[in-house]
Amino acid sequence: MPNITESELVMKLKARDKSSLEYLYDNYSAALFGVISRIIRNEKIAEEVLQDVFLKIWDRISFYDPEKGRLFTWMLNVARNQAIDRTRSREIKNDKKTSELESFVSAIEARGNEELATDAIGLDEVLNKLPEEQSFVVRQLYIKGYTHRELADEFDIPLGTVKTRLRLAMMELRKQLDIK
Amino acid sequence: MNIEEYISTGVLEAYVLGELTPKQRLDVESKLQQEPALREELRVIELTLEAFVHKGAFKPGDGVRSALLSKLEVQKEAKVVPINSQGAKLAMAASVAIALLTSYLSYYYYGQFQQTSQTLGNLVAQSQQLAQDYSVVNKRLDKMQSDLSIMGSAAFSRIIMKGTDNAPDAMASVYWNSGTEEVYLSIHQMKTLTQESQYQLWAIVEGKPVNAGVFDMNPGGLLAMKSVSGASAFAVTVEPRGGMPTPNMATMQVIGTMPKTS
Repeated sequence: MPNITESELVMKLKARDKSSLEYLYDNYSAALFGVISRIIRNEKIAEEVLQDVFLKIWDRISFYDPEKGRLFTWMLNVARNQAIDRTRSREIKNDKKTSELESFVSAIEARGNEELATDAIGLDEVLNKLPEEQSFVVRQLYIKGYTHRELADEFDIPLGTVKTRLRLAMMELRKQLDIK
Repeated sequence: MNIEEYISTGVLEAYVLGELTPKQRLDVESKLQQEPALREELRVIELTLEAFVHKGAFKPGDGVRSALLSKLEVQKEAKVVPINSQGAKLAMAASVAIALLTSYLSYYYYGQFQQTSQTLGNLVAQSQQLAQDYSVVNKRLDKMQSDLSIMGSAAFSRIIMKGTDNAPDAMASVYWNSGTEEVYLSIHQMKTLTQESQYQLWAIVEGKPVNAGVFDMNPGGLLAMKSVSGASAFAVTVEPRGGMPTPNMATMQVIGTMPKTS
């Protein structure tokens, strides 16, 4: 399948055209795996989650509404939520030998030491150009998988400030990445 | 709405990451419909996010792709038949409809049941009260019938006891069956006593007072007293509660003698 527009791709997915899912995988699996594997540091489990994410996209494509946002945003959120959900599962906690009582947040903190070899090299390139407070928010939200609320609570930053810092960071990234 | 201000709160970024409450999300969606400038901003945010995420792309192992595709294959074989069949879709729709209907109906009937059992409870309580009232009235009626049969009976003599100087207005009657020796008292007018005192009825037998029992002011029909034989007169005195073996004559309230008949 040559390059096709997003709306064509969505139509084919909704029509249960299997080749469209292959196309989706070939073009987006690495991006989504980048998100998942930053939240889930165990490569094997991260790959399982990636597979689940694509099955979920395939099963739930009828719920995707192009009026409400881009397909990629929708897939990103499916991946992010699936990864976050998985970190809350017993399996992950046992895998990391953390107590069941430990919160999701501290479970993530505990894994912070085992950086993946490839971690954030491409991202650091752009993030390092942001002011510290902005890159911090982006790292916590996108790379560590905090929700806005968890970030606000954990670091004692008002929720509104989390949102505006992210807003400023996104405007800076827009410049860096030359988005128009 | 000032769009610039609205955008600067970061609400669209939060929307993109699915971080809003359902209510906030609906609000953003309705504003997006109205404001082209918001839609444009959203588009740029999404493209920025996508480009940023691609920067951090990380290739998964080769096994994932083939495992995914073979799972799809299995899913397809298992799922295609029922899902593509019109009948199955109808059956699915029907079962969903039935489930919705049943849950609505069970909710509705549960409410009705609650109401009905409450009403029933009230009715049961009411009918118990009625039965109690009926039994009270019935007892009173029985009592009146038996009183009437005593008062109307030729076997009973009526001795009217009139007030003494102690209680000129007082009046009571004794119904006495000289054959069976039954004694009944009927109070027409007597004053209420203190808690420490009680009235005591005496029969005068051969010139001597014989205890015929104590009583309180009780206007409710005939009082059964102690059996007495050979009485020529009856009198009532005021005695300490419980009665005394001999009367305190100074307290006599009423007195009456047997009418001279036979």
